Amino acid sequence: MNTSAGGHPRISVIGIGNVLLGDDGFGPLAVETFRCNYECGSNVEILDLGTPGLDLAPYLYGAVLAVIADAVHAEQKPGTLCIYCEADLLAQRAQLRLTAHHPAVQESLANLRLTGHAPSELIIIGIVPESCDLGNGLSPSVLSASSVAADHIARLLMERAVDCRRRHTPIQPNLWWLESDSSPCTNCQSRKAL
Amino acid sequence: MARVSIDPVTRIEGHLRIDVEVDGGTVQKAWASCTMWRGIETILRGRDPREGWVFAQRFCGVCTTVHAMASVRAVEDALQLEIPVNAQYIRNLILIGHALHDHIVHFYHLSSLDWIDITTIPKADPARAASIADGISTWPGNSHRSLEEVQNKVKGLLASGQLGIFSHGYWGHPAMHLSPDMNLILFAHYLQAIEFQRKSCQVVAILGGKTPHIQNLAVGGVMNAINLNSLATMNMDRLGTLQSLFQELIPFVQQAYFVDACLLAASYPEWFRYGRGVANYLAVPDLPVDAKATRFDLPGGVIMDGNLGSLRPIHNWRSEAIRGAVAEDLTHAWYVGAGAQQPWKGQTDPDYTDFQADGKYTWVKAPRYNGRPMQVGPLANVLVGYQSDHALTRKWTDDALQRVASLQGPKLRAEDLQSTMGRYLARAIRSAMLSDLALQHLQLLTTNILKGDDTTYNPPQFPQQQIAGLGLHEAPRGSLSHWVVIDKGAFSNYQAVVPTTWNASPRDQKGVPGPYESSLLANPVADPAKPLEVLRTVHSFDPCMACACHTLDASGREIAQVKVL
Repeated sequence: MNTSAGGHPRISVIGIGNVLLGDDGFGPLAVETFRCNYECGSNVEILDLGTPGLDLAPYLYGAVLAVIADAVHAEQKPGTLCIYCEADLLAQRAQLRLTAHHPAVQESLANLRLTGHAPSELIIIGIVPESCDLGNGLSPSVLSASSVAADHIARLLMERAVDCRRRHTPIQPNLWWLESDSSPCTNCQSRKAL
Repeated sequence: MARVSIDPVTRIEGHLRIDVEVDGGTVQKAWASCTMWRGIETILRGRDPREGWVFAQRFCGVCTTVHAMASVRAVEDALQLEIPVNAQYIRNLILIGHALHDHIVHFYHLSSLDWIDITTIPKADPARAASIADGISTWPGNSHRSLEEVQNKVKGLLASGQLGIFSHGYWGHPAMHLSPDMNLILFAHYLQAIEFQRKSCQVVAILGGKTPHIQNLAVGGVMNAINLNSLATMNMDRLGTLQSLFQELIPFVQQAYFVDACLLAASYPEWFRYGRGVANYLAVPDLPVDAKATRFDLPGGVIMDGNLGSLRPIHNWRSEAIRGAVAEDLTHAWYVGAGAQQPWKGQTDPDYTDFQADGKYTWVKAPRYNGRPMQVGPLANVLVGYQSDHALTRKWTDDALQRVASLQGPKLRAEDLQSTMGRYLARAIRSAMLSDLALQHLQLLTTNILKGDDTTYNPPQFPQQQIAGLGLHEAPRGSLSHWVVIDKGAFSNYQAVVPTTWNASPRDQKGVPGPYESSLLANPVADPAKPLEVLRTVHSFDPCMACACHTLDASGREIAQVKVL
């Protein structure tokens, strides 16, 4: 959730996964790549939510479209991108990686649906992970899929007439968790006022 | 004798397995096992202490801010660095916003369905329910029309035959005995809670820059710029927005959640007799109100053997009553070694053996306070506050106890809260009290800014020699401590002793069980195939296994297996 109000209708582009667990960090990586390669209107919120569990609900609340990037279980080789809609999730055709915070996407959606605030459309961009071990960084196949995933997110938005344009000059992504142990994080280098 | 294994326990954060032996309808023995490996602290070794909090806040996806806060406090403690009073207030407001969020979600979304049977809601009379609700609370969300709308939604859900996430409830269980009207009132608030979960996120976002991962912390203070004449900084407008958000959020906490918890307590009086468990309580002081952190708005202390009169206060974070008293026992945990380790010297080398009831059986270490197991969480917080004569704790505890009695519930004293239901009620008492403190701290911040103080940060200087620090926070689930050792400006050791580690602790060297395990003894189990009563007691602690045992791929079962062995 950003402090900026943003316009309407609201669109959420959400990365889910723990960046400290290897390929589980695909979701945050994919949305950061998208943010750096594309420019969107102020109604598009781009969010790295980590592993929010039921705390996903506030970020899906009232969105017309939610795109979620996450690791998934599928009978495909690692690095394969799989796209699902909400019906796939409900029918369990899409098996999201069971993270440490299990009550998550399905539960948040079900609660929001009962209150009438569920997103009108939900799309999941899944990656088949190679390894989700502690602190190993991302494997090459998953790393290289991130820009394809970003392009796919952009296409989904453009197809729905959402304001989303490729940047002439991409921004340098902030992948702080992949930087070497010794380099201080951007927060420490420059004290940027909020 | 039936042996029941619940794996994993659902509607908690993370993966927990509970094994119980049931005889004559009650639990005789219990084991709490965390099935995920711990070791995330190893990621912090060698890193710059100024950025430790950025990583620590990824320990757990739900309790992000609490680890960030404990991490900066640990480094500041090692450096003996004061932070500006504005930074204390801003951090306190973030911590309160997060705590309210956490307690609301726990009560309604993670545990209320152990007590509410939604399948009876079609039989409720919305008009009668509205008049019952009106008689006990001023909450405006109890109108006949809004309750009728909720009833229709539930009817639709039940008629569809597709209960989805609601299909795992123990509906019709003999231990469920709220009237249809009560079920309707509570479930209406379950749905309304989503709106207020969102508002508490907004509070944290305004102060922290973003949620769920806040951006504004720094070792030495916060990075919020304060300038009353600038639109882009903390100014009267933002302070006003915070004030209005709290004013929308607080009525829900004090008039809906707090009253609902009293209602539940009055309706299930037998649950004050179960689940006491380890009756030693630890709470650490929090919400500092001065730069040096010598005065706090939440008192800390230790109570032993269920005797409130035994209270020994922990006056501040430098107190030996906490720094010198904690060790983690590895005897029954899947780590190399046995006996106890002081956290600054703690090690985390895995030694997996499979589940051995008499040997090692969990990834959770067994923290001990001067050798004794301790219960942490809102109940510890409330008992310590009550016995310390903390005015707001007294006010809301007395209010809750009177309300429970006036709702035809049991007549209770504060010490009677030591139970499964007491933990639910204490969490609501704490939420009501923190709501009052939110407005007070916002006022403190505003007054201080209006006096012309705009400082928020004191830059840290790192010495070459080895230093050690302790970062404490009374988090929603209880006392949290980060223990750090810094050598030549980098972490050389990092250990987090988190609330769920205290509560989900296994047996120790002497065979003494932890709070979950002992709280389950004598817990009723009407039907071993549907161990709802076990879940009530386990859920009363608000388990969050993710940071207790840190991570792992638990690919496989999505629905809890209840095996009667």
